[in-house]
Amino acid sequence: MSDRIFDSTIGALNTSLNVRQLKQNVISGNIANADTPGFKAQAVEFEQAFRDALGVGQDLTPAGTHPGHMIPHDTDPIDPEVYDDPNGVESLDGNTVSRSKEMAEMAENQQMYEASIEMLKRKLGIVKYGITEGGGNK
Amino acid sequence: MDLFSSMRVSASGLDAQTKRMNVISSNLANAETTRTEEGGPYQKKNILMAAETDRESFSEILQGELDEHVQGVRVMDVVKDDKPPRMVYNPSHPDANEEGYVAMPNVNTVLEMADMVSAQRAYEANVTALGAAKAMGQKALEIGR
Repeated sequence: MSDRIFDSTIGALNTSLNVRQLKQNVISGNIANADTPGFKAQAVEFEQAFRDALGVGQDLTPAGTHPGHMIPHDTDPIDPEVYDDPNGVESLDGNTVSRSKEMAEMAENQQMYEASIEMLKRKLGIVKYGITEGGGNK
Repeated sequence: MDLFSSMRVSASGLDAQTKRMNVISSNLANAETTRTEEGGPYQKKNILMAAETDRESFSEILQGELDEHVQGVRVMDVVKDDKPPRMVYNPSHPDANEEGYVAMPNVNTVLEMADMVSAQRAYEANVTALGAAKAMGQKALEIGR
């Protein structure tokens, strides 16, 4: 049985929401600049950033020096890399934004963001269920 | 960095596309105009867009939390197209020269129409992006509900 209320799930979902939000910002920047001469499409490395933030491959359990310690399991503050998309095809005016690609990515990003929120809601629902001894959950 | 930043960027896109649409309308409306205040036929106008880093507030800049990568768009200038006017033979026209040719605006209506469709699609794309950011924000409000 887990002895923690806020385990790494919430931290991971938090990180996921942050990166998705950044991605939404970057995509809307690309769409707004789809007609700007010389503008280079930007991309966010989601998976790598997420893996770094979660510290995959590192020891996930922080040391609790006292049995009463509640370890928040915070993930590292994220700093995902935003870079010029190397896959962009340059048009005559030097712009590399593909509007259809951005729209597709935005739709995907939105879906994943909402999925993360849904999971966070369920997770908090479970916590609430426990707190209210099974009575508070609808 | 938040979703409002995304909304502001999309809004800047909407703004730029509206201005572009204005310029296109002006070009189309004046496709046959032979007299202007500066003299001579109407000259096609082009819009100049440039990427601009989104700035929310002074404090954000002060904190150095500026996200250089989130870039809105801004209309820098509207410039005249210096292409020579179309010379159309029409001796009965009051603005015809000695040889009977009239200098017509250098506006290509087909090109303007294509440009207009492009502006319209770009506008719609920005609306969708703004809608997505709004939906994400709405969804986030459901956390813990």
